[in-house]
Amino acid sequence: MDKPLYEQYFNYISSLLHGDWGWSFGTSMPVMELIKTHWVYSFQLVLLSSIFAIVLGISLGIFTAVKKNSRADHIAAFFSFAGISIPHFWLGIMLILIFSVRLGWFKTYYDTSLPMLSLENLYALTLPVLTLGTGMVAGYSRYVRSAMLENMGKDFVRTARAKGLPESTVIGKHVFRNAMLPVITIIMLDMSGIVFGGAYITEVIFGIPGLGWMSLKAVFADDYSVVMAVTLIGAFLTLLFNLLADIAYTCLDPRIRYE
Amino acid sequence: MKLTAYYWERTKRYRSAMAGLEFIVFLIILAAAGPFFTVSPTHVDFNEKNMPPPGFMLEQSMYNASSGGFVTTVQHGSWAHPLGTDGMGRDMLAMLISGARVSLLVGLLATGIAIIIGALIGITSAYFGGAMDSILMRATDIFMTFPFLLLLILIVYLFGSSLTLIILAIGLTGWTGTARLVRSETLSLRTREFIIASKALGASHLRIIFYHLLPNILSSIIVLATLSIPGAILAEAALSFIGLGDPQVASWGNILNAGQGSLQTAWWVTVEPGMMLFFTVLAFNFLGEGLRQAFEPGGD
Repeated sequence: MDKPLYEQYFNYISSLLHGDWGWSFGTSMPVMELIKTHWVYSFQLVLLSSIFAIVLGISLGIFTAVKKNSRADHIAAFFSFAGISIPHFWLGIMLILIFSVRLGWFKTYYDTSLPMLSLENLYALTLPVLTLGTGMVAGYSRYVRSAMLENMGKDFVRTARAKGLPESTVIGKHVFRNAMLPVITIIMLDMSGIVFGGAYITEVIFGIPGLGWMSLKAVFADDYSVVMAVTLIGAFLTLLFNLLADIAYTCLDPRIRYE
Repeated sequence: MKLTAYYWERTKRYRSAMAGLEFIVFLIILAAAGPFFTVSPTHVDFNEKNMPPPGFMLEQSMYNASSGGFVTTVQHGSWAHPLGTDGMGRDMLAMLISGARVSLLVGLLATGIAIIIGALIGITSAYFGGAMDSILMRATDIFMTFPFLLLLILIVYLFGSSLTLIILAIGLTGWTGTARLVRSETLSLRTREFIIASKALGASHLRIIFYHLLPNILSSIIVLATLSIPGAILAEAALSFIGLGDPQVASWGNILNAGQGSLQTAWWVTVEPGMMLFFTVLAFNFLGEGLRQAFEPGGD
């Protein structure tokens, strides 16, 4: 600690690269070990929520785009606005209040003793996934809808219809594939925000011992090496998903090539 | 001014946007005038704790020291506390009004700070281009990689949780989106004839920026600002919810945090502030979306 700042920084970076992420004073174990035990809880939550949100959001988006301006579209639009606007930490508490406290269908906290790959675990994650996923579903369905509508007016769609292709092929193959391009990018760019935004609070509400829960405890315990590590992971994830979005873009759309 | 009237007419056509605006105006009036009509939001009265709103009742088993056993008491709501009281006997209505003040303050001020910083950086970056553009945009990129909420938590934890600091922290971390939007809008305007013409007439950089560029990107900025307010309000609420809010003021997040523990008995303590948050965010989103559609050229 008595060395000049640049030397300390250099030491920190070089030990990071050697796999030594520092010592967590709050829990008396290496930060690396701590992350190794906690990351999987965040991962399962984010993975399940993403699957839920992507499947439901895309289907809802396609449905509302096809039935544009119908009653169903307006209702869906209202619900997606509600879904975007509902504070997810409050949604989580309300879900606990209704389904755990009143109806008693779920436990009010997440049981960590359940084996990771089991139906019980999936069941226990229902409320957290709903909490985190609702806002995502609402957002994605809006993106998909506008991307679909944008493509539906294009010339190649008219050509496809003129050729006499069935409507399902036109929507499924011609419109959907083109509409997915911007959607995939947006989903990718959203992802790091979800890991350290939505999932963070969701973990705190349900007591899921993921990275968010861990880093919040570390902040309160002045456990600076953990906080530094988690910030670093956050920045790394942002960069990673940016890169993945770029890669996905070039793979899906051969017209785009980086020189 | 004529243009403002034109856009106002267009916005008025969106019923949801108008409903949003009405709710926001209602909230502003409530926040401004409400405290004169309610009891102090910090007035603690343990004799009146966990009182439900009128029409509801709450059964509680309490330990009775004289008989040495548990007795079930039934707590009825009273019109003295139309929205009930929390676990410390504080009046929910007064606290919700105080929370409306906090949320509006945070939403408007933090967004204001973020928009001003973002607009300055975006315009400078695009207008001057070259090295300035590279430096500012790389800085923005680096800033964007920070996990936003974690950064806020860290700032507030390190420097103490006062409302001023929370507003500053949200404002100082939330400008990246604006910077990017303003930059791209400015880039597309920069080479237009009217800008080049005023440059040829010898207008100074400041004049071009403030008289020619800014008015033309103002509509995008207004829309973005309206749609950013919910984010700022929710950020403060989330911070308060995890226990890092300003303990001196009753904000919606603080009430939620306090009410979370008594979910089993006093459900209204968590339901009410959440409802307020939800409707406020919804109102700003509706208004922003209506404005966006109204400003869109030919978008009907």
